[in-house]
Amino acid sequence: MRFSDNGYYIETYIKCTNCGVLLYHPAREVPGDNDTGPYCSEWCRDWAALRASGVENPVLPLPKS
Amino acid sequence: MKEARAMDMITMNIIESSMVSVCREMGITLMKTSYSTIFNEALDFTCAIAATDGDMLAVAEFCPAQIGGMPLLIRSILEEIPLDTIDDGDVIVHNDPYRGGLHTPEHTLFAPVFVDGKLIAFTVAIGHIAEVGGMVPGGFAAEATEIFHEGIRVPPVKIKKRGVDVDEVWKLWLANVRTPRYNYGDMRALISGVELGVARLAELIAKYGVDTFNQTCRDLMDYSEARMRAEIERIPDGRYTFEDYMDNDGLTDEEVLIHVDCFVQGGEIIVDFRGSSPQVRGPINATLGVTWSASYNAILHMTDDTIPKNSGCFRPIRVVAPRATVVNVDYPAPEVGGNTETHPRIAGAVLGALAPGVPDRAMAAEGGTHLNFVFGGHDKVNDEYFACYDIELVGWGARNFADGNDATDSINGNCRVIPVEVYETRYPWLTEEFTLLPDSGGAGQYRGGLGTTKTWLCRNAEITCSQLTDRHRHKAWGLEGGGEGANGATHFAAAGEDGTWRTMVEAFGKASTSKWANITVRSGDRIRLITPGGGGYGDAKKRARDAVREDVAEGYVSAEVARQTYGLESERGD
Repeated sequence: MRFSDNGYYIETYIKCTNCGVLLYHPAREVPGDNDTGPYCSEWCRDWAALRASGVENPVLPLPKS
Repeated sequence: MKEARAMDMITMNIIESSMVSVCREMGITLMKTSYSTIFNEALDFTCAIAATDGDMLAVAEFCPAQIGGMPLLIRSILEEIPLDTIDDGDVIVHNDPYRGGLHTPEHTLFAPVFVDGKLIAFTVAIGHIAEVGGMVPGGFAAEATEIFHEGIRVPPVKIKKRGVDVDEVWKLWLANVRTPRYNYGDMRALISGVELGVARLAELIAKYGVDTFNQTCRDLMDYSEARMRAEIERIPDGRYTFEDYMDNDGLTDEEVLIHVDCFVQGGEIIVDFRGSSPQVRGPINATLGVTWSASYNAILHMTDDTIPKNSGCFRPIRVVAPRATVVNVDYPAPEVGGNTETHPRIAGAVLGALAPGVPDRAMAAEGGTHLNFVFGGHDKVNDEYFACYDIELVGWGARNFADGNDATDSINGNCRVIPVEVYETRYPWLTEEFTLLPDSGGAGQYRGGLGTTKTWLCRNAEITCSQLTDRHRHKAWGLEGGGEGANGATHFAAAGEDGTWRTMVEAFGKASTSKWANITVRSGDRIRLITPGGGGYGDAKKRARDAVREDVAEGYVSAEVARQTYGLESERGD
């Protein structure tokens, strides 16, 4: 999310390329390969890659909370 | 090596039950102090307790549409109002659909719980405010093409600071709605709910101590997570796919696809909506909070209902909803119908996908709409504007052991219909007919629940009406050979036209029969709402003969359908 300098309004809504959650902190974003992304987590980056690869039944355990 | 610590199950149970009780009391307070029928009759709200990191700790059994989206919503608020800027006595309000919210009418109130000067938790109330400004009275702007048609958007701001009203916020908000007196009363009711919760929770925490309370909440979420994982492990690993459609977006006649792949993997579920339609021009786009909520709603329906409802339940579930799709709307596309109409279709798709994995808990599709009939006008007696959001009831889907429920609010509502007597007292309509609709339940070994028919006569000089509903084309699907439920419909008959019923397309030239805005209804005109039925389960020929005969005797199934569809040869025999 990119807010105006004074914080009064949102200039750009930034969302995870995979799961679609809002990304409030650029420092926590995970870039993807080949200029894809940003992602909210390494899990989302890897899941997006698995789905894009066409694997019929991808398996990727969720990260422990 | 860290020593394993056993959970104190007794203390956990007591604190969990007490927190749920606090949430219920918050809701009752809200109900009893509110002004609008959407709160005090329909109960379109939810109350909860949250941790300082945004986790939901407990919630009462009010409106499920608001439960699953709560963690996302709370986290969005805390991103914009840092914890160290929140003081005792503050109350935060928020309804922004693009910042974790569900849709514009859904207002979230949020109050901190301090114990000995330290912030420990939050109480939360989410309620559907009936009038929010925008292009139609009552909030459901069925012909909206951007968020600005749908009413005032409130980012997370404090409406009370240290116990004192922030006048500027109140004035700004109330200047942008048609019914300021009612909105004021309803907002006060929401605030009363969270403030009562603050007092009750502070007493509870003081009784057990902060350390015990915090440890118990962590244990509670771990416990819910473990139980949810055990439930999901019952479902064979694999990929489960389903698709369903919305009729249209109200502006064009194109159907809108909800596609879901549920990947079950060792006690976890990835609910992936890749392949769903891009976001549409009309107001049926769902926010991400709606899609989270609908996915969790479906899974909660298919798992043990005694699992304590908190964020721990949701840890083994990941929702993937690509941006700029009908399941994750991007600014500034409209979204008000996403929370009421698209939510049931999303939840239904997840239920349909997982049905083969948990057949004993599967359910055929339900009516999947709240009808969302909204209206407003000028009350000459009191010289003020009135507005109402009316919810109607649909048939629910049958299961492999029981018929679907008749005339019940859709899966995400759990709301009540406004009683006829209250309706006629509060609003200028005479209810001429309110009946179960025969043959509207999908046929099956277990029959789908029945929809209803309701007819109103207008008694005001002029009322401005709108509606945002669905299932006028796509019917509720059956399971295991069960039949589809009947479609809904909305009709209009002008005064003096001898009861000729016409759709809104026929009468007013609207683009959609189910989604239309701002028609003028005058004294003597009539509106008829027909609500969809639920899908059936199993082969209708296998339905118990006594059950078919009883359905005919009660008027739920016509003799003709009993004969042709259920194979009942006579009233007495097989």
